Amino acid sequence: MSEEEFRDGGVLAEFKDVTALVKACEKVRDAGYKSWDAYSPFPVHGIDPAMGIKMTKIPAVILTAGLTGATTAILLQWWTNAVDYKFPISGKPFWSIPANIPVGFELTVLFSAITAFIVTLAVNKLPSFYNPLFNHDSFKRVTDDAFFISISSADKKYDFDKCKDFLEELGAIDVEQIKDDSHVNAELPRNLKIAGVVAVCLTFIPLGLIARARTAYSSEPRIHIIPDMDAQPKFKTQTANSMFPDGRSMRLYPEGTVAVGEPGTDDHFERGVDEDGAWVDTLPQQVSLNEATVKRGEERFGIYCAPCHGLAGYGDGLVHRRAEKIGSPSWVAPSSLHQDYIRTQPVGQLYHTIKHGIRNMPAYGHAIPPEDRWAIVTYIKALQLSQGAELKDVPASARVKLK
Amino acid sequence: MASKAKKPDFKHANLDPGLAQKIITFGGAAAVVGIGGAAGLSAGHWDAFFHAYMIAYAYFLAIGLGGLFFVILNHLVRAGWSVVIRRLAEGAASTLPVMGVLLLPIVISVLMGNHDLFEWNDPHLVETDHLIHKKHAYLNANFFAIRFVIYFGFWTLAARYFLSNSLKQDETGDHKITTKMERFAAPGMFAFALTLTFAAFDYIMSLQPHWFSTIFGVYYFAAANVSFLAVTIIICRWLQSKDARMLPGLTVEHYHDIGKLLFGFNFFWSYIAFSQFMLIWYANIPEETEWYLERQEGGMAMVSIALLLGHFAIPFLGLISRRAKRNLKLLTFWSVWLLAAHFIDMFYLISPAQGGHGGEHAAGAVHFGPANILAFVGVAGAFAAAMAFALRGKKLMPIKDPRIVESLGFHNV
Ligand code: HEC
Repeated sequence: MSEEEFRDGGVLAEFKDVTALVKACEKVRDAGYKSWDAYSPFPVHGIDPAMGIKMTKIPAVILTAGLTGATTAILLQWWTNAVDYKFPISGKPFWSIPANIPVGFELTVLFSAITAFIVTLAVNKLPSFYNPLFNHDSFKRVTDDAFFISISSADKKYDFDKCKDFLEELGAIDVEQIKDDSHVNAELPRNLKIAGVVAVCLTFIPLGLIARARTAYSSEPRIHIIPDMDAQPKFKTQTANSMFPDGRSMRLYPEGTVAVGEPGTDDHFERGVDEDGAWVDTLPQQVSLNEATVKRGEERFGIYCAPCHGLAGYGDGLVHRRAEKIGSPSWVAPSSLHQDYIRTQPVGQLYHTIKHGIRNMPAYGHAIPPEDRWAIVTYIKALQLSQGAELKDVPASARVKLK
Repeated sequence: MASKAKKPDFKHANLDPGLAQKIITFGGAAAVVGIGGAAGLSAGHWDAFFHAYMIAYAYFLAIGLGGLFFVILNHLVRAGWSVVIRRLAEGAASTLPVMGVLLLPIVISVLMGNHDLFEWNDPHLVETDHLIHKKHAYLNANFFAIRFVIYFGFWTLAARYFLSNSLKQDETGDHKITTKMERFAAPGMFAFALTLTFAAFDYIMSLQPHWFSTIFGVYYFAAANVSFLAVTIIICRWLQSKDARMLPGLTVEHYHDIGKLLFGFNFFWSYIAFSQFMLIWYANIPEETEWYLERQEGGMAMVSIALLLGHFAIPFLGLISRRAKRNLKLLTFWSVWLLAAHFIDMFYLISPAQGGHGGEHAAGAVHFGPANILAFVGVAGAFAAAMAFALRGKKLMPIKDPRIVESLGFHNV
């Protein structure tokens, strides 16, 4: 490239050290130049005021982005959880603020960070592939041990000779004219352009494949990149199986068998009824009435029943009190276990209530095995006795403790 | 340009002994009158007195611990900018032995079987209350006293170690002292983390011994930092308004950085407080939710909301901008604000434990009375006197620290 192809890009002045640079910056700033810059191998404290650079407005932009992120997160969760696809999770309200905060926090940070990244690049006019200063060999030392000031020819006050004199006056040790060949050289290199076009074209391939897959039909199963345990050599419920004459994959029990863990034939123990189907009034033989059983019952009652029925069985458990307090419209009060009609119930009926629930009370058979159900029954009986007790029911030896 | 800062004149950078004496006298008098008055006011209602006292106590213990953390941290990372305020942190940490003395009566009362404050010390409950029974191996009077000795033993040693070495350097200027302190800082940080965590468990969390939260130590740690930084800002401003030569070279740049830490730690506090809340809210297990439930009912609900707004939302917006941290009047305002919020925080943590011992008590009742104010004045007096005592006649900056010049020349970009 011959010299004539360069245009006047401005002046580039080198300074001895960082102190000289900062001093010179102050002068250039005061002289009223606008389109100029300073270069140093390391960040220099105090260069911003020396160059007259004002505090950036980026924080305000980031704050706005952060608030947008927070709002987006809240709206997203509100819409998905409370409007578009209501899905009850452990009795929580569909839309509740505490659950929204982590996502709100994340999106605030995400929006802020991405905005900060993009805005900072944009404000600094990056990425940029061309700068005339790179045409100067002397400038290469700027990442090493040299300090420069450049005034661009785009500056309104620019005049090469005046600038040169001015900078020399400020103590520049070397002043050059910037060789600007942006008119021929600021273009992206050809190879880079081709690579870019190719890359963009390549990105269309997966898009194209997806578009095709959405409209085309295939008898092949879809591609399973991570199969996990999706395909297993077993029959699922309600599917066909040609191995059996009736074609069902779900088999019935062979006549007269009982599965492990399922109710067997012991009606007294497992159902609380006698041969005629009436409630039994005695404990089954598997359960012996002793202190250990009642204690066990007390413990299980405390876990499974007290939350609703209360520790003393008056139907005033915590769940009930809470429901009352928030005025839940659908709440049915748990029965007090000390009502006459329950006090007189045979043990078999109480057993049945635990196993299957009753009216609005859910069943607890799945959670409490038969032995424990009976243990709870013994405890309920003891509890009922204690609440209706009179002085004569108390053993004489214990009466002295009463007042 | 850090390299160019000149050492200012440190001739007047002492805490004037006369001024220190005044603080010690007034502080000591306030301690006697405040704590004695609070005790006298609630004579017969020891429950009320103990809780009022613990609130004030936890408040200032946090500031002392925040100071110790600041010292250890800045040695650990070899921080430059913070050297100018490190002496004040050393002074705040030096209140810890006195804080130990202030807790001693409570430890003794626990050893003697009192359970007005710590219901886990009630032998009847240990027998009948399943959870307390299970925790007895940890929550019992003897082990409690042993832990007290370990915590305060370490804190006292660490605080003395850093202050005395740093003072020695004021005279000799020996750089090796700095290296030595830096070496101690790493194991010291471990010990600090453990002692603070368990102390928070012992003195605050175990007030309601059914409840537990593994993040609780971090919560108190965050509060300690916020309160310490806020106090530091106020002390610096006060000293400079008395005589600017006491803290020469302490500029808006340093305030700006303390302000950043204050803002950051306050947000950290909010983050931790929310982390603790959210998991408990989500899991919804009675043993855990009970603690929050009590704080969401009646008057305590208002206290909780005051905490949410006063410790998080409002100061967050107030301190976020660069301007708020560089305008010293504003910064002081937010420091005072956060110190008030710190009180609400300690009140929120501790006061609901009052009256909850065995018998029925109205959940959500706000137990605030003159005893609270007197106890606060009392412990504040003791704290101020202890800090002034540690620093009386001493330089208020580590004037010969190898990084003091770097610190003085510190500049925010
Ligand atoms: C989720 C709350 C809840 C739990 C837990 C619960 N119950 Fe109930 N229970 C109820 C309610 C509600 C009723 C009244 C139902 C109605 O009237 O529709 C009831 C009624 C009863 C009755 C009266 C039945 C009758 O004949 O009228 C008995 C007995 C009883 N529960 C026993 C138990 C026992 C034993 C347990 C522990 C295994 C238990 N309940 C656990 C809510 C509960």
